[in-house]
Amino acid sequence: MIQLKDIVVKFGDFEALHNINVHVNEGEFFTFLGPSGCGKTTTLRTITGFIEPVSGSVSMRGQDITHTPIEKRNIGIVFQSYALFPTMTVKDNIAFGLKIKKMKKPEIEEKVRAIARKVELADEKLEKAVSQLSGGQQQRVAIARALVTEPAIICMDEPLSNLDAKLRVQLRNELKRMQRDFGITTIYVTHDQEEALTLSDRIAVFNKGYIEQIGTPNEVYNHSATEFVANFIGDINRLDAEIVRGLKLKETEHHFIRLERLRVNQDKGDGALLLPGVIESQEYYGLYIKYYINAGGQTLKVIEKNDGINIYQPGEQVTLGIHPDDVMSYPA
Amino acid sequence: MQKTARKPGYDLGTLWKIFGAVLFAYLFLGFMVIPCFNTLTSVFTAKDSAGNSDPLAVIRFFLAGTMPGFVWNSLKLALCLVVTVNVVGISIVLLTEYFDIKGAKILRMGYMTTLIYSGVALVTGYQFLYDSNGMLTTWLSGLFPDMNKQWFSGFSAVLFTMTFACTSNHALFLRNAIRGIDYNTVEAARNMGARPFKVLLRVVMPTLLPTLFSLTVMTFITGLCAMSAPTLLGYNSINPEIVRLAGSSTADEAFPQARAALLSVILAMFTIVLLTILNHYERKGHYLSVSKTKAKLVKQKIQNPVANVLAHIYAYVLFLIYMTPVVMIILFSFQNYPAIRSKTLNIGEWSIINYFGRQDYEYMTSRGKLKTRTGSISGVFSNADTIGGIRLSFILSAVAAALACLIVVVAVNYIFKNRSKKRGAAVEACLLFPWLLPTILICYSYRIYFNQEIWYVFGNNLYWRENVRFLIIIAYTVVKLPFALRMIKAAFYAIDDELEDAARNLGASPLVTFLRVKLPIVLPSVLAVFALNFNALFTEYDMGATFQSSYGKTYAMIIQNMTLEEGREGYNVNASGRRCASTVFIMLVSGIILYLVYGVGARDLGERLERRKKWKQRFARLRGKKAA
Repeated sequence: MIQLKDIVVKFGDFEALHNINVHVNEGEFFTFLGPSGCGKTTTLRTITGFIEPVSGSVSMRGQDITHTPIEKRNIGIVFQSYALFPTMTVKDNIAFGLKIKKMKKPEIEEKVRAIARKVELADEKLEKAVSQLSGGQQQRVAIARALVTEPAIICMDEPLSNLDAKLRVQLRNELKRMQRDFGITTIYVTHDQEEALTLSDRIAVFNKGYIEQIGTPNEVYNHSATEFVANFIGDINRLDAEIVRGLKLKETEHHFIRLERLRVNQDKGDGALLLPGVIESQEYYGLYIKYYINAGGQTLKVIEKNDGINIYQPGEQVTLGIHPDDVMSYPA
Repeated sequence: MQKTARKPGYDLGTLWKIFGAVLFAYLFLGFMVIPCFNTLTSVFTAKDSAGNSDPLAVIRFFLAGTMPGFVWNSLKLALCLVVTVNVVGISIVLLTEYFDIKGAKILRMGYMTTLIYSGVALVTGYQFLYDSNGMLTTWLSGLFPDMNKQWFSGFSAVLFTMTFACTSNHALFLRNAIRGIDYNTVEAARNMGARPFKVLLRVVMPTLLPTLFSLTVMTFITGLCAMSAPTLLGYNSINPEIVRLAGSSTADEAFPQARAALLSVILAMFTIVLLTILNHYERKGHYLSVSKTKAKLVKQKIQNPVANVLAHIYAYVLFLIYMTPVVMIILFSFQNYPAIRSKTLNIGEWSIINYFGRQDYEYMTSRGKLKTRTGSISGVFSNADTIGGIRLSFILSAVAAALACLIVVVAVNYIFKNRSKKRGAAVEACLLFPWLLPTILICYSYRIYFNQEIWYVFGNNLYWRENVRFLIIIAYTVVKLPFALRMIKAAFYAIDDELEDAARNLGASPLVTFLRVKLPIVLPSVLAVFALNFNALFTEYDMGATFQSSYGKTYAMIIQNMTLEEGREGYNVNASGRRCASTVFIMLVSGIILYLVYGVGARDLGERLERRKKWKQRFARLRGKKAA
């Protein structure tokens, strides 16, 4: 569907993207994930045509679009700020692209109403100013505006970042539903790993202008290709020398273990290393509890499901189990 | 887009760019640099009586004669104004915004009358009260027969008038600054044991300092460049002298034009130094509230009962000073000429003759013959001269205000597209250029330089007959460019870059993006700038006086001249009444404009739609009632 081949982007002397290669499949929800300044938005803007690469090519359905003007790429965009035109009503915002295409009024009217229904925007909202809508409704308008021209793909640049936590979760689910309903190829940019893991079919993890790993959410979480990915996605413990020696792992490598893979007071007899430990402190999250346990000469973070019975208090003695298969190792 | 593919050859866009660059260079060089440079060089190209060039002759003459006195007078006025305007300006803001003074809303309205009542209208209003046969002077001389009836003239009169005329900026900007104070900081200081006066001095005032510094510099420049008050109240400062010299000839005195030029250059030097200081200070940044949950300022009650009473008395005395001329002007504008001449209100008789209609005037000649002068008593809207002045000022101001907005909108769009490039900064610097020069220098330069056939204006003399109106339009436009730039540029900052990207992504060309997306966003600000510029130019006096042309008699000039021939041989019998009515008309126009700018113009699309909906509902209810 969309292919980026050896893309290099420079801003003056600064090389923002180094040989980026990505292939996004038809109908896929593909996410660019990474910290601020890693190059994910630059890659998105290269696809949409706002940035022209120094070298490399962008192709869509086999056709090279590297030098195609923005407006002729047939790509819909949902911007971080939504970029809704404040001087226009909701209807005019959605109809803008259709008017530019010089469509006839009745056709525009029909298309606007149809897309508004699909994104669940009530008819009476169409005559309102965008400033009169809530954050969630504004996002629907932005999606409707991007979709109404029937683009081949839709690009979303951190569209949930302006919303509060609860609404973000709610709209995340709606985004996924809409993407499934429309069946449209979607490229999504975010720095929020939870958002990426819940929404995406595949994720590209960016770091300093490179792609560290491309894979399904399970692959990037449980089989992180690099130390950066392991650290960036989810919370993780780095194991110090004493535990590494106890697990008989290579001391020349860096070893990590996810919080939920550590076991408190559970001996399954499967060869896990058992260490005596002391609860240093706890953080209560409701659904689960995070413990800081001093074991094997270091403090390890552990997550335990909150069953309301086995709740450990600071100072309590526990046994911590670490299985070598759960450890992710990377060259130092 | 960060990088675009370059197309070979010259496309339409490139040709437009070349045309734009050439036009901009033509306007900048032709109407800013060359005329002003001509003024500067004229100081050093004077010739002695033998026709020999003597570059320092004018400066020697200047230093030897009385000329430094004009500079000193202007400096004295500017320095004194800085003190008096700040004292009154800070007082009115603290009294209405910071301290709990009873009737603050009414007081604020009174203090803000200078927003709609300023310039020549204000000076003539003050004269109406305070000059030798003014209302207050007549009343006071009844109480104190020995008092000097000419007390309202010269330095003290100019200082008094300008002190109250120049507090508009305090009323607007200092008020906004004080409203921006986080009340939690006041509470924190009180909580730590600071007394109210200490809080004001150590917590509140420091946050106002940047605004106060800007206001002080602007007040100093206003004092230095004062024109209408010194002219009308008789004070020998720089600007009135420049205008006098510009109209003089070498037959009457030595180097009149060169001396006028030198005075303009001196004024420009002061302005440049002050604005450089201001710019440097502004770049250092302002105090910003770091609070994320800013609390609204709560008015402070003055605890000491004596101080509280004194503050109230002070507030209402200031209110009377501000309001009396306005009220008197409004009342007298509805009086007949005998009442106005005697400055005595005739409660039993009111008239609209100063506004509408004409009357004949019967008078006795020195030979005892009764004569009738037809239509000698006439209203603002039935007097040919006044209507002519209004019409001319309306057209000149509207055209100039529109031109300034048009130039600046196009330029700012260019500046924003090239904001990281030198050419963007260069265009901005060119548009700010007139800010460095006093208005009088620009107008004087135009008057002198364009009073000859100039090749680049198609061989025309722009000071000749009706051409002077073009010259006034150009001067008005040039002078208003920096203000328009500052305001419209601020509006452009509000445009999210992503809006432009979104429009382009949806297929809009740069022109369509500008016209349909960016322009509607900045339009309220552009209209506000247009309205404010129009408002200032409509009653503008200084530039009209500098051009001194019978083909360019603006409304303010007409107002000023109206009374000069009042009653002479039965002409212009009700000139003072008409002047009062004119002032009321100006206040009305200014009031409407300010309402449109700050009232209607400040509403966004949502608010406008809401109001439209409410009006529709009201009409529907009315129709329903009628049908029932």
